[in-house]
Amino acid sequence: MAKFADINLDEAVVRRAAGGDVRAHEIIYRAYSTPVYTLCLRFTKAPAHAEDLTQETFIEVMRSIAGFRGESALGSWIRRIAVTKALMFLRSAWTARSQSFTDDWDDVTPGDNLSHGISRHPDDAMDLDAALASLPDVARTVVWLHDVEGFTHKEIAAYMGKTESFSKSQLSRAYQRLKPLLGQADDAPEASGAVLRTY
Amino acid sequence: MICGLTADERTALLARLASLPETMPPRAVWHRIREQAEAEGLLRRPASPPRTLYWGAGLAAAVGLVAVLVLEEPAAPTFSPTPENYTVSNSQAVDALAALMVESRQLENDLRALPAEPRVVRAGTQATILELEERIASIDQQLSDPASGLSAADREVFWRERVRLMKLLVGLRYAQTQRAAFSPARQGLPGAGVE
Repeated sequence: MAKFADINLDEAVVRRAAGGDVRAHEIIYRAYSTPVYTLCLRFTKAPAHAEDLTQETFIEVMRSIAGFRGESALGSWIRRIAVTKALMFLRSAWTARSQSFTDDWDDVTPGDNLSHGISRHPDDAMDLDAALASLPDVARTVVWLHDVEGFTHKEIAAYMGKTESFSKSQLSRAYQRLKPLLGQADDAPEASGAVLRTY
Repeated sequence: MICGLTADERTALLARLASLPETMPPRAVWHRIREQAEAEGLLRRPASPPRTLYWGAGLAAAVGLVAVLVLEEPAAPTFSPTPENYTVSNSQAVDALAALMVESRQLENDLRALPAEPRVVRAGTQATILELEERIASIDQQLSDPASGLSAADREVFWRERVRLMKLLVGLRYAQTQRAAFSPARQGLPGAGVE
């Protein structure tokens, strides 16, 4: 999977984009739209919402790129915008439902993910997709930010306005749900047995 | 155990997460971004894209023809702008205004040529379309009102704005018809009516 950090664009493209050059912005969009849309889709699960968030992300890029100083990679900067937009969206959805970040595990019946026909055999991607989709929004978001995008618990906590313990707890609970998928590791005879205590 | 996963389990999980396929956004997303960015004045048009050149050349020829006709018979222009009470007084203004009027009329033709609005529409898009239509109607009212006391320069500004709004409207309506043409409902796929 191509990640934000794997994509490199010429600095000249960024300079042209800062001047409002439509071609330069289109190049940036072509380069980063897939990881942005994928991230938004993972967070929201709804293509229509992911499209809107992708649009909002790149509009924000256009508004702000003149102030981009290159202190971080362009991909990291765009990812930060996308994550912020997606979390704002999730927050607003929770707010509308009068729920908080902490209680959305209550929406999920234990074992839901296992009822999606998860097997240890073919099409692991589909199994994992279904398992991820069955996680509560917060937990799925934490898993994605931590294990795919490489955010630290401290960073995740800052984004969510929560503590690091909250982020770790969400990840831990998510892992318990995903564990049945990891059969191959279970099947391995005498796997290392090392248990992760920190991430 | 904090997370309950062994090192092997976590390695397996990370590998599977990393191998999940990415999803490309639909093509329409870029068009929507561009429309919004242009509406907000965030983009500068490219200097010489080929299509614009061809289109620009055609428009220039049309404008030249109209300008010649108007200059030959200034009291009786060979076209009538949408607001009927409009008259022009100097040849420079005629050139600029004639171009805007021709462009505006062409955009109206383009709009009329589009299929009827789809039955299911995006609420946000529909609201934007309605807002654009209201703003265009308001401009038309200003241009048609003899009591508005607009100067030639004011009229040019109004016509320019009308063309800009018409372009946005045509773009949005085009995107709307495209979305409807490729919607899950049309293709018998799950998710119909989500739009």
